[in-house]
Amino acid sequence: MNTSSRLLANWIILGLTLTFLIGPFLIIILAGASDTSYLAFPPEGLTLRWYLKVFTVESFRASFLLSMALAIFGTLAALLLGVPAAYALNRYDLPGAETVRTIVAAPIIVPGIIVGLALLRYLVVPTGVTVTLALFMAHTALVLPYAVRVVSSSMHNLRADMEEAAVLLGCSRFQAFTKVVLPNIRGGVLAAFILGFVTSFNQVPVSLFLSGPGVRTLPIDMLAYMEITFDPSVAALSALLAFMSLAIVFVAERLLGFSRYV
Amino acid sequence: MFRNTREGLALALPAAIFSTLLFLVPVGILLSEAFRFEGGWSLQGYIDFFATPLNRTVFLRTLKLGALVALTAAVIGYAAAFCIVNLGPKSRGTIFGMVVLPLMISPVARTYAWIVILGRTGIVNETITGLGLSDTPLRLLFTETAVFLGLLQLFLPLMIISLVSAMENIPRDVIPAARVLGASWLAVFFKVILPLTKEGLVIGGTLVFTGSLTAYITPAILGGSKVLMLETLLYQRVNVSNDFVSASVIAMILIVMSFSANLLLKKIASARS
Repeated sequence: MNTSSRLLANWIILGLTLTFLIGPFLIIILAGASDTSYLAFPPEGLTLRWYLKVFTVESFRASFLLSMALAIFGTLAALLLGVPAAYALNRYDLPGAETVRTIVAAPIIVPGIIVGLALLRYLVVPTGVTVTLALFMAHTALVLPYAVRVVSSSMHNLRADMEEAAVLLGCSRFQAFTKVVLPNIRGGVLAAFILGFVTSFNQVPVSLFLSGPGVRTLPIDMLAYMEITFDPSVAALSALLAFMSLAIVFVAERLLGFSRYV
Repeated sequence: MFRNTREGLALALPAAIFSTLLFLVPVGILLSEAFRFEGGWSLQGYIDFFATPLNRTVFLRTLKLGALVALTAAVIGYAAAFCIVNLGPKSRGTIFGMVVLPLMISPVARTYAWIVILGRTGIVNETITGLGLSDTPLRLLFTETAVFLGLLQLFLPLMIISLVSAMENIPRDVIPAARVLGASWLAVFFKVILPLTKEGLVIGGTLVFTGSLTAYITPAILGGSKVLMLETLLYQRVNVSNDFVSASVIAMILIVMSFSANLLLKKIASARS
């Protein structure tokens, strides 16, 4: 094969692969704009009414706010637990460090649906904890492994003697952490926050069982809505969510070279 | 390294305790449930589970679809990764970014697109009825094919990422050298590329396989109750029939599979470093 036909073959294969991976998004963007009361593609007439309707559906608004709150506060809580743990695992010669590492990483291995069911059955039901609180804790546990991993890897590159120098120069250990370590791992912590936020916001299985009257995360609410209505509003909402994720990742990449950390 | 062990533990333990209480303990109790029978311990839960034909069908279907998705992803992945590695540095970054991006998007959004494509008034059916190939729309949703396509689209990026990073490590001249010495492209693939990218293939394959096994949304939306997979079966067992023993058996199957996959990955990673 000569070079130019090889190049052509190259781009054809890539084009097909990318069409398969990305094409569906273009389809939902257009399907959400169809001027019909049912899903149609190619769209029959173009309208923005489904995109606007999404904002007026009461349950979408409530579940969007819940998902946002879970993603933000769950990730913050995971960082509050994860940053000290990552620090300790990197800087101290701990007995059982490997055990701690395994326990903290465990949530990645266990499918979310099982975690949700286990928490419902053995936490919510016996202790009467509210579903919202259980959801919050489940999302925290789910994000914790990512927080520890990402922060660990950014701490790994930071030499310990900088802190020792700070202590010798009169800082307390805590000051050495806030003045020397924290500014240096800021990028890693931010990357962990973004990764945690996206993971939590998109998470479905863990919240399947942990929902109650008026307590539903956005993806679960979309699943429920899909079962009763076939209008294009779910397509419109899906498109909007895709844009939101893309915007977050784009900004993160521009600001801190996000992909270095993930 | 600091020597003050107590201080270190004080920093590390909150995370470990939180994970233990909210994760290990509840999940452990759930797993133990299938072994409890009439006040004692037994394997009866497992025997009953696999004695039901539907459960066996779902179990085998889940494995089959997982393997099929992993295999297809490997074939497409090799072609795509090979092309990406051959690109110039600038377009390589852009294309690689486009492959990775879908991973950041909500799986609900990613799966919903297939309803638009395969639904009664979707593209495929419009084309078929438009061309007069069939008078009535075909049932494409709620089939194994639909679930297969959805899972493939969801997890293909993971395979491509693994293979691209494996192929970047192949020394530059090896493939032209093999060609000059008279190897056909097929021989180049099986004797040069495959052995040199084995690890990437195993990593990608495990990620895709376990991902497909433990996906919920795709089988729920595209398979429904007609094409149950282990995760959707678990949900149905709990919500429809309050059957926690089956749920516990399914949970065990899923955890054992994803745990062994994880061990395998760890082993590969440590062998490399």
